[in-house]
Amino acid sequence: MRDWQAYVRSHLRVPDLTPEREARVVRELASQLEDFEREARARGMDETAAEAHAQAQITDWDRLSRDVLRADRPHMQPAAERLAIRIESRGGSLMFAHLLRDGRFAVRQFLRKPGFTIIAVLTLALGIGTTSAMFSVVNGVLLKPMPYPDSDALVRVNEVVPQYGAFSVAPANFLDWRQQSGVFERIAAYSGTGGTFAFTDGPERIQGTSVSWDLFELLRIAPARGSGFTAAQDVPNANNVIVLSHALWERRFNSDPAVVGRPVTVNGTAMTIAGVMPAKFFFPNRTAEFWRPIALNPANATRGGHFLGVIARLKPGVAIGSANVEMKSIAERLAAQYPNNSAGESAEVVSMHEQVVGAIRPALLTLFAAVGVVVLIACANVANLLLVRASVREKEIAVRTALGAGRGRLAMQMFVESAILGVTGGAVGLLLAYLIIPTIQTLGAGSVPRVADVAIDVRVLAFTMAASLLTGLLFGLAPAWQVSRDRSATVLKEGGRSSTTTGGRWVRSVLLVGEVALSIVLLVGATLLLRSFARITHVDPGFKPEGVLAFQIALPAAGYPDEPRRIAFFDTFFEKFQAAPDVRAAGMVQALPMRGGYVLSFDISGRPKAEPGKELSANHRVVSPGYFQAMAIPLRRGRLFTDQDREKSKMVALVDEAFVKRHFPEEEPIGRGVDIGNGTDGFYEIVGVVGDVQTSALGEAAVPTMYVPYKQDVFSQMWVVARARSGDPAGMTGAVRQVLREIDPTLPAFQITPLATVVSDTVAQRRFSMMLLALFAGVALFLAAVGLYGVVSYVVSQRTREIGLRMAMGAGPSQIVRMVLGGGMKLAVLGVVIGLAGAYALSKYVETLLYEVTPSDPASYAGTAGILLAVAALACYVPARRAMRVDPLIALQAE
Amino acid sequence: MFTPELKKGSIGMLVLALLEARARHGYEIGKLIELRSGGRLTFALPTLYPTLLRLENRGLIKGRWVEKAGERSRCFYKLTPAGKRVLADQRANWQAYVSAINDVLGTGDA
Repeated sequence: MRDWQAYVRSHLRVPDLTPEREARVVRELASQLEDFEREARARGMDETAAEAHAQAQITDWDRLSRDVLRADRPHMQPAAERLAIRIESRGGSLMFAHLLRDGRFAVRQFLRKPGFTIIAVLTLALGIGTTSAMFSVVNGVLLKPMPYPDSDALVRVNEVVPQYGAFSVAPANFLDWRQQSGVFERIAAYSGTGGTFAFTDGPERIQGTSVSWDLFELLRIAPARGSGFTAAQDVPNANNVIVLSHALWERRFNSDPAVVGRPVTVNGTAMTIAGVMPAKFFFPNRTAEFWRPIALNPANATRGGHFLGVIARLKPGVAIGSANVEMKSIAERLAAQYPNNSAGESAEVVSMHEQVVGAIRPALLTLFAAVGVVVLIACANVANLLLVRASVREKEIAVRTALGAGRGRLAMQMFVESAILGVTGGAVGLLLAYLIIPTIQTLGAGSVPRVADVAIDVRVLAFTMAASLLTGLLFGLAPAWQVSRDRSATVLKEGGRSSTTTGGRWVRSVLLVGEVALSIVLLVGATLLLRSFARITHVDPGFKPEGVLAFQIALPAAGYPDEPRRIAFFDTFFEKFQAAPDVRAAGMVQALPMRGGYVLSFDISGRPKAEPGKELSANHRVVSPGYFQAMAIPLRRGRLFTDQDREKSKMVALVDEAFVKRHFPEEEPIGRGVDIGNGTDGFYEIVGVVGDVQTSALGEAAVPTMYVPYKQDVFSQMWVVARARSGDPAGMTGAVRQVLREIDPTLPAFQITPLATVVSDTVAQRRFSMMLLALFAGVALFLAAVGLYGVVSYVVSQRTREIGLRMAMGAGPSQIVRMVLGGGMKLAVLGVVIGLAGAYALSKYVETLLYEVTPSDPASYAGTAGILLAVAALACYVPARRAMRVDPLIALQAE
Repeated sequence: MFTPELKKGSIGMLVLALLEARARHGYEIGKLIELRSGGRLTFALPTLYPTLLRLENRGLIKGRWVEKAGERSRCFYKLTPAGKRVLADQRANWQAYVSAINDVLGTGDA
């Protein structure tokens, strides 16, 4: 009789079936073929003919193989195994086939222990997710090129003035630079501007930018519709053309395709729309919604007033360094040439990207480093989990070793498991990052440049993938190392009882101490920032912003060409506005505190005039009499301004205490005169001293400030501040609009903002850093607690027998709790000590972010240690209680 | 004799029907179909065997290796409770179908 099983096996091709199933199919087909042969023999055929008869039953083996596979789908090998087999049978990489099998095995292991898997994946997701989110910020803000073609060649050119360092550029200097420099392909100036657009449904104030005619060519972005500007339009009185942003075109011009060439009234002047920029274009920031030729007049350009931004594109092959050298020498030559206005001035060339993000870089990199620490903690946690699991799996591993799996193969198996955990954690983490990013953007809006550019892109995906694999390798090291030591013999001899070797326990302890220490470092950093933030938000700005509304009014030159008409407008405005029921006090100022200074030079009466370049300078604030009441700025001495301080009356000024301290340390300032470089001639007599007000941000040293009455130094654009009786500033908005409609319906009030918001915006960047670091520290603390809890629980479960024995010998529950708690807390205390030392060593990196808190602030260190130890005690106490309830009898029987 | 499509549609039902009385092995099922149809219906092994696998995977039959006295061990299939229900259903369906077809075809003289 023929060996039909061998016959079938050599013809049937069903490698995709599981081996057991394949054996059964072969056996049964063989059995049936044998039946055919036997029957044929019984009918009298000879052996050869009978065999041939049986063989003839199946002619198309390929087809049968296919039909069997199709019918027997439920018994197919898993996809990974089928692929591995295919790779092997085609002479592919055995290593890859192994990887596939290890991967499948790992996934099955993980699915079998969902609790472990969920904890490990979530831990990693927290670590990787926060890191990815933070990386997307670093990527969007620091790494992505600016959104202009060949943006590497774009630079900012700043003036460098002796008193203030990098500074805005004076128009006359810019015009000379443009003529004399040879390193730039193009160089353009720009300056912020506002336009009151007359729309059919009322006026709207819109932010814009005045630019040199060839700015768009310089940026290499052409309008999407129409055209940009021509050189002929970049001269005074020929510059009534504007280019719209895409957003403004959509919002206010209904995306009208025929908008180019249409007239529009801006600031009371008829202008023509020349073009519309592409949708994603912005310059210099996203608030600018239209552009207009700047039309600098070479005939009367000032060298003393600095208000231009200057951008340039380097010629191909020119390095920033050499451009810097050239611009420096040009500027210094000009300074020598015009000592009256420019003494001591120089210039610098900075890459545009650096100028935009340079200031935020240290904070972002600090935060990125912090989030890296969170990942390390997550790694330590998962490594610990894997170690615990590896020791439970010792028997399985020993069996595999005994069956011939080499140490390398076992270590690889461990790494594959880790990589799968890492990638799964990374995928969940990416989802987390996707959810966190909008929050980060909200938090960073207004304080982090380019935060709108933050998004998950290819680079973030690649980073997350790499971070996932790397963390997988990192936390996979410990278990792979442990498993690669040949200990199969001992474990098998011990009858498979999982044994905690001293080596494993040592590694776990080190990891735990390490993660406690890392959490301390983050917590200390976060606490320092938190305390700084608390201090800075309690700084007295010198006025009371609560209940005050601030907004701007701009009088166009077309309707208000001279001072009498401007003064008349504001007189009427305040007369009506102050009569509104909710307005307790109202005043105005040309430059709002917390929005920067307005610095002018001055001379003091009876003292010699300063040399050029060494003039005295101070903040200059032009105010109406009601300003001090509305802001609640206290009068220290003398008197405030009154309605009697008018155009023709004696010129008077107020100064603040910082001014007195700086310029009249030993003298009485009242009665002295200051000659302010604001275009008026003569001295303003100081009539009073008021309290200091912070200039551009909370927490800064007060800049000496002088005040003059509005009517003696008229501006056309003013900030109005009004204190509400009700305490709710927003409630006055209606009255503002109503009064303006009555006086001049073409005038909008704009930038309507509660003053408290203006103040809190100045600490937005600090808030951003603090909140993120606090978030990361919180995650770190949580992970450390989970890690501690996990390890102590495991130790308790391993020592159940010992605990039972102790209790049988008379140890009380409190002794057991003390023993377990003590074991965990010893590690925690060690971690805290190391962490405090590490935090102290690293604290200088957050020094620049601190305010009135020293990097070694003892309260922060003590508080942090206290919090961590309390959390650690809690994390140890839960398993300790479990240990306390061990029943000695059961524990001892378990063996 | 009959088209493969016609046969294919009914082989599952035939196998179930043959297993209704008792468990049988694969070779026996093939032979019985041939025998009971007077040789008009034959199913080659390559058709029959995948059918058995399919029916088993659907849980309608269950194969078990049995060694009877004096014989080699063979895989015997028996009808599962689910198989019984499906068979009853298919049988009723089939009979209703056949009678409907017959009614339409008639005897040719109506």
